[in-house]
Amino acid sequence: MPADQRANSRRGGAAWVALPFAAALVTFLARLAGANATTAGFAYLLLVLGLATWGGWAVGAAASVVAMVCFNFFFLPPFGTLTIQDPANWAALVTFLIASTVASRLVATARQRAEEAQSRQREVEILYDLCFSLFAASQRPGVLGEAAARTLRAIGAESGGLYLAGEEAPVSTFGPESLPIDPDLLQRTLETQEIAESRGAAFLPLHVGGKTNGVLVAQGPVAPRAVLESAGRLLALAIERERLLGEAAHLEAVRESDTLKTSLLRAVSHDLRTPLTAMRLEIESLQSRLAGQPEAIASLAGLSLEQGRLSRRIDNLLSLARLEGGVARPHPEPVPPNSLFHAARESLSLILANRTVEIRVEPHCPDVWADPSLALETLVNLLENAARAAPPARPLELAANPDPESPASDRRVRLEVLDRGPGLPPGVKRMLQGTRDLRRTADDAAGDSAAGGLGLRIARGLADANGGVLTLLDRPGGGTIARLILPAAPEPPDPEEGAE
Amino acid sequence: MTRATPLVLVVDDDPSIRQTLSRELAAAGYDTIEAADGVDGKTRFEESRPDLVITDLAMPRADGLAVITAVRRIDRTPVIVLSVRGEEEDKVRALDRGADDYITKPFSLRELLARVRTQIRRAEAGPVAEVLRFPGLEIDRARRTVVRDGQDVRLTPTELAILELLASHAGRPVTLRQIIAKVWKGAPATTVDTVRVHVGSLRRKLEPDAANPRYIGTEPWVGYRFLAEPET
Repeated sequence: MPADQRANSRRGGAAWVALPFAAALVTFLARLAGANATTAGFAYLLLVLGLATWGGWAVGAAASVVAMVCFNFFFLPPFGTLTIQDPANWAALVTFLIASTVASRLVATARQRAEEAQSRQREVEILYDLCFSLFAASQRPGVLGEAAARTLRAIGAESGGLYLAGEEAPVSTFGPESLPIDPDLLQRTLETQEIAESRGAAFLPLHVGGKTNGVLVAQGPVAPRAVLESAGRLLALAIERERLLGEAAHLEAVRESDTLKTSLLRAVSHDLRTPLTAMRLEIESLQSRLAGQPEAIASLAGLSLEQGRLSRRIDNLLSLARLEGGVARPHPEPVPPNSLFHAARESLSLILANRTVEIRVEPHCPDVWADPSLALETLVNLLENAARAAPPARPLELAANPDPESPASDRRVRLEVLDRGPGLPPGVKRMLQGTRDLRRTADDAAGDSAAGGLGLRIARGLADANGGVLTLLDRPGGGTIARLILPAAPEPPDPEEGAE
Repeated sequence: MTRATPLVLVVDDDPSIRQTLSRELAAAGYDTIEAADGVDGKTRFEESRPDLVITDLAMPRADGLAVITAVRRIDRTPVIVLSVRGEEEDKVRALDRGADDYITKPFSLRELLARVRTQIRRAEAGPVAEVLRFPGLEIDRARRTVVRDGQDVRLTPTELAILELLASHAGRPVTLRQIIAKVWKGAPATTVDTVRVHVGSLRRKLEPDAANPRYIGTEPWVGYRFLAEPET
């Protein structure tokens, strides 16, 4: 039972006890002073009002009856009897009874309203203090225990504990004794989102925005139910705020780490490519100066080939680092397969110098929808692998055609690199059967060619980033088909309509 | 141009690239001066007013973008940017800020010298002619006609505007943003996809073989480049 109700009932009891004594005192004083009927009537009225104010309406009503009896017995003739001779005195007696009853009722109602207002004010004060201590006093994360203790103090609980949804042990406990908690009741409170009571302990559901964060168990809280509900909501908000603060801090950390990764990769990229550029420029410069010396030119050609290879490996590693670091954001655009094929062939002009590369693009093959640099890098890797695998006399083929297996609603394009080499190495074949773990691919393929494995791993990472699928197949008649399936670019609408 | 030999300013923080470029440019018949960073580059530009600037993008103290801004405040001098892969956004920003061309490291000397020649020629050529002539293609800007291999090509006004813009920048990249700004006057609803649709349709009408474009090449990430050399 809340404290103000207990105080009310104590006060009511005292008023009942005081009633006969007060009535006797008024009668005695009025008789002593020789008061007439009118004066005595007013004195009794005062008695009724006083007792109604003190003890409430019921005491007031009883006081009215007692006062009426005393008034009649002592002050209305014939004195000393409860009979009335003069009919006018009947009117006086009834008027007195009505006046005293109504007045006591009014006084009691006014007192009750005042008490309610005081109680509301106390509730508001409790909640305001709680609100302030939960939200204004702390800006640091990880203060849930403190928030729960503040809430328990505010609702006048002797002890308690905070239980978060999904966690068995309490996040924090408050007060001298540990609580015997009924886990079923805890679960029911979480589900029903309603306050439950058991052996003097209140279970407050902490819900915000339709979801329950946890339960606050309060042993012997004195605050009224409305305050308990509000306190529960406030604590739920505080928990939600802590969670959001935690998330915000995490996001901030992720963003900073992304920024750091991006700038680190940029710096590494710049620092690695600058010396490569210097090397390439020096090689070309030497080539023009040593034009008449075939042996030197042959050495320079070898150097140039290696420089190109190193350059591509660095490109590959940086692209992979970007993709795996999550800082590469592909920018897809429509890319004609033909221009991709030509660019790939040109990128490997030294390696492919004495080889035939056939390019076949099926008529009406749509453009692919891909990041051009990533798509080109993928194709270059596949073409380089093919060039390494296949004997120089056999031509390499680049083919593009609409993917016959894709539905009309999701058109796709097949870009294929075909060779007449020995076919897929066993390690690559093994990992192609199901697993998509690129690291394993590289390791398995390492026995055959570390560079080839890395190239493949990168090609697959790049294909994934482009929204594509890379598969390696045995080619009928010997050799390998590396098939890159990419989304087709959307069909452009007719620009004649609404062009100008 | 008042000089007999064009003067090229090379701005790069890497001394070996700077020296090799200077030596090779000199061998190709250009005078050169060097600067080791953006601040130095701006000073050298103001002192010597070169005919062409080649600048790296990432440099200590004032980067390549700052050099471009400083050059553009004074003159229309051609600027070629040296970029690396992974700096695509910086490259586009450089072009939008007034750079005329870019080349990606590691680049070939031959390629760079070709770009330098294109830029110097453009600077010497003066205002764009009324009739633009390319092998197999003639664009009459006054009469608004396009003739390819002796046949009239019927273009919409938007396609013609794009073609004129690209052809008058022959050999140089034009960014999607520049196209939107010039052709659509920066109309807010215009997206890069709108540009691509119109360029696609222009290509279908103009190119004899759309798969192997002779006139309008795509510059990944950037925009387009008119590939044909103008006829003099």
